[in-house]
Amino acid sequence: MGRTPLSAAGPPAGLVGQAGNFGFSGTVGSLMEFLNLTLGQFLFLLGSISAVSVALYLLDRTRRRQIVSTLRFWVVPGQPAPVSRRRKIQQPISLLLQLLGMALLLLAIAEFQFGGALNKRRDHVLVLDTSAWMAALLPNGSGNTLMDLARANAIGWLRAVPPSDRVLLVRADGLATPATSWESDHRKVARAILESQPGATALNLSQNLEFARDLQRESGATLGEIVYAGPGRISAREANNLTLPNLPAFRVLPVDDAVENAGIRSLGARRSQTSTGAWDVLVRVRNYGLRPRVVAVTLNFGNAPQGNHPVELAPGAEKETSFTVHTQAAGILEARLYPRDAFAPDNYAALELPAQRSLHVTVYSDQPEALRPALASDPRVAAQFRPTREYKPNDDGLVILDRFRPETRPQGSSLWIDPPADRPPIPIKERVEHPEGLRWTPDLALTEGLRARNTQIESASVFEAGPGATIVAEIDKGPVIMSRGNMVVVGFNPFAGSMRYELAAPLLLANVLRQAAPDVFRDVDVGTQSAGAVSSPIANEVDRKSVEVLTDSGKVLPFNIRDHAVQFFAGEASRVRVIAGNSERVYSLTLPEMWDVKWTPPATARHGIPAWNDTIRRSRSLWPWLALAGLALLVAEWILFGSYTTSRIHIVKQHLRSAA
Amino acid sequence: MANTPAHTPIIDREFLERLERLAIHWQRSFAGLVGGHNRSHFAGGGQEFLDHRQFHQGDDLRAVNWRAYMRLDKMFLKMFQIEPRVPVRLLLDTSVSMINGKFEYALRLCASLCYVGLVRLDTIEVLPFAGELHEGKACGGGRQRFSPLSRFLETLKPSGSTNFLKVVKQFLNEYPQRGLVIVISDFLDESGCEKALQYLADYGNELMLIQLWTDEDRTPRFSGEYDFIDAETSARLRIHVDADARRQYTAAFDKFAASIKTVAFRNNGRYAGLETSVPLEDAIFGSLLKSQVIA
Repeated sequence: MGRTPLSAAGPPAGLVGQAGNFGFSGTVGSLMEFLNLTLGQFLFLLGSISAVSVALYLLDRTRRRQIVSTLRFWVVPGQPAPVSRRRKIQQPISLLLQLLGMALLLLAIAEFQFGGALNKRRDHVLVLDTSAWMAALLPNGSGNTLMDLARANAIGWLRAVPPSDRVLLVRADGLATPATSWESDHRKVARAILESQPGATALNLSQNLEFARDLQRESGATLGEIVYAGPGRISAREANNLTLPNLPAFRVLPVDDAVENAGIRSLGARRSQTSTGAWDVLVRVRNYGLRPRVVAVTLNFGNAPQGNHPVELAPGAEKETSFTVHTQAAGILEARLYPRDAFAPDNYAALELPAQRSLHVTVYSDQPEALRPALASDPRVAAQFRPTREYKPNDDGLVILDRFRPETRPQGSSLWIDPPADRPPIPIKERVEHPEGLRWTPDLALTEGLRARNTQIESASVFEAGPGATIVAEIDKGPVIMSRGNMVVVGFNPFAGSMRYELAAPLLLANVLRQAAPDVFRDVDVGTQSAGAVSSPIANEVDRKSVEVLTDSGKVLPFNIRDHAVQFFAGEASRVRVIAGNSERVYSLTLPEMWDVKWTPPATARHGIPAWNDTIRRSRSLWPWLALAGLALLVAEWILFGSYTTSRIHIVKQHLRSAA
Repeated sequence: MANTPAHTPIIDREFLERLERLAIHWQRSFAGLVGGHNRSHFAGGGQEFLDHRQFHQGDDLRAVNWRAYMRLDKMFLKMFQIEPRVPVRLLLDTSVSMINGKFEYALRLCASLCYVGLVRLDTIEVLPFAGELHEGKACGGGRQRFSPLSRFLETLKPSGSTNFLKVVKQFLNEYPQRGLVIVISDFLDESGCEKALQYLADYGNELMLIQLWTDEDRTPRFSGEYDFIDAETSARLRIHVDADARRQYTAAFDKFAASIKTVAFRNNGRYAGLETSVPLEDAIFGSLLKSQVIA
């Protein structure tokens, strides 16, 4: 079986057996090695034992004095007594056998083996894909998932790993999570593999492989393989930024994922621009399969059906369908996709819609016709026009005083248009006719979008700049629009004369309205997000100790605050609430993070389960033979040259008997 | 006050009781007095009838068989058997070559034979020797005389070198009366012992040679470089012992033992070779019975 590209269809490639390249780069060189001892330790031990053995040998072979009853039988009658010349080593073969036997035993203890670096103990990293897509059911109807297939592949590879090699399991989805430490006990790794479950995020392959490489380098042992087990489905963002680290021994255990699936890509809601109290809802669906499909998208709000749209999807196509939901109340918006398919998590999405609010504006004017169109253009504004004689100082919302000065100032926000010179809210320095050179103060919320300089104004009051007042616009003679607190004072009537036809007038009014009630005019664009990394902005003045990130179930998620944003990672589909001070933001992370493209492994990667375990095991089983050979040599030496012959044992027995 | 250590007898009581049914066996008769259980084939003034012979002048008329004379008209003289009182002499080797347990073994063997003889009313005389004949101990008259003999044996210590020829000459001078001579020794004499033993036999003594050796004496287990020292002469021999040397040694020893045996048999004596590794009880009721030293 040759190497099969991951993108090819068909059964999983190399599940049972492509040996691949056996050796590991950079380790071929030495022809033998010791598993239990270093060469230095082995030589030291061998030298020590040999020295002791030789010393004992020479001591044993030294001439001994013995008193005997007679010498007559040692001498052959008629011949002179033999003269024995002492030799330093009397029985060199005996010494040689002893040294050789002990060397063999020491080699057995050191687990000597041929093959050298090829058989060194290695550290492997198994990167097991636990992305959301791994929960997809296999099309064979067995009820097994891609995760089951990946687990089986991983277990098969683990069985092929030499028993002494260490393995570390990394569960790979959006984050790289080490599931075990460096384990020589492969049962623990197998247990961790079997306990691995699909997450809710897409695979971040480059991060996971880089993490695996770093782990391997930091282990300090001989580098083994980095093995990826999974289908290799990654997001488009990941594919565009994919930079795989240099992996000298990279293996892929592919998982065939030819699964027909259609799912919701996103669910979004936007406040309707045309209708008060309505939401425009967009549901984006995609066909991940290879066959065209027709799916039905149903929308519920508060368990009330809102619509059902059939969508026809070509293979790989992505389409949007829109709904309109009329509600001003907050509630849960749910989208479902039918029929159910192999991958259930992306058939449902939920969104929490906030309540829609409006700004109450009370206009005190004796000539309201000029203001009426400007206020009626925005559905979020509920304007009420009253004559000046009906003034009440306690109106809520925004109060617009059109060329009118009440005896008592409004308690809330107020917009003064061309106030009379008699006791104005801000002292008037002078009245200027046809002023020119109107300039807007930049970087103010009230001047956002206002850039016009040659605005034609009939006449304007020039205010005196005082403490606590902000100049919004000015001419050469002084400020003509100022703000102080929640009060904005305009020294001219922007809805009269030639200025009423310019864009500056409604823009200025819109900015005033937005300043009075920013949350009402904030663009509400809510949508589901995929689980994974989320960044939630917070205000500068928020106390960081008050920040909490909670799931619906009350589980506390770890987070980090950086650049005025709360950053957290949601590993599973849920709604997450970010509480910061007095504000609360809800994230509907109900959709799993899906893939966009299939990754193709590099050509240098190996595929399938290797078959080098048996080879290594055979070479490592050399030590019993070494031990047997060493023992055989020692026994032979004991029989041939040993002092403890049977007769000597007999003498010892005799002495013992007499002593007894 | 220090406790006096308990006296351990050479032979325990149980073994002595087993020895009582044995007797020292004589093969030859010697002229002597009545005594013991061994019968003399010499006629004399004994109690038991032995034979008739023709009457000669001068014979004692009291021994004439008058009944035969009445019937045959010839005078026959009745001869009676005399019983010997010839002592059993044990020559015990006390030289320093009796090492490695041989001396203790010899003492116990000597005591056993003494007890056997005393029980049968033999007269026993123990004569220790090495380079010369030492003062011995004689006793007789029953088992109650064994204790002094036992204490005598306990006083003996190995010393000196063996000189059989000198010892035999001294023995023949001091004990001209012939009798049974039991020699307990390893017979290791640098000048040889065969000639001396032959002298002993030639003077009419019945030889009973008991040769003792240890395992090490016959089949040494040494291997390697050895500096052998003769226990008697302190002569040294540096030698490398290997299997071939050991084999030659054993052959030489067997040849030596055979020569001792030959001397004994050639003179109608008896020979027993005992290895000290064999328990004394087994040796007495085995080898010695088989070689008819005792019966």
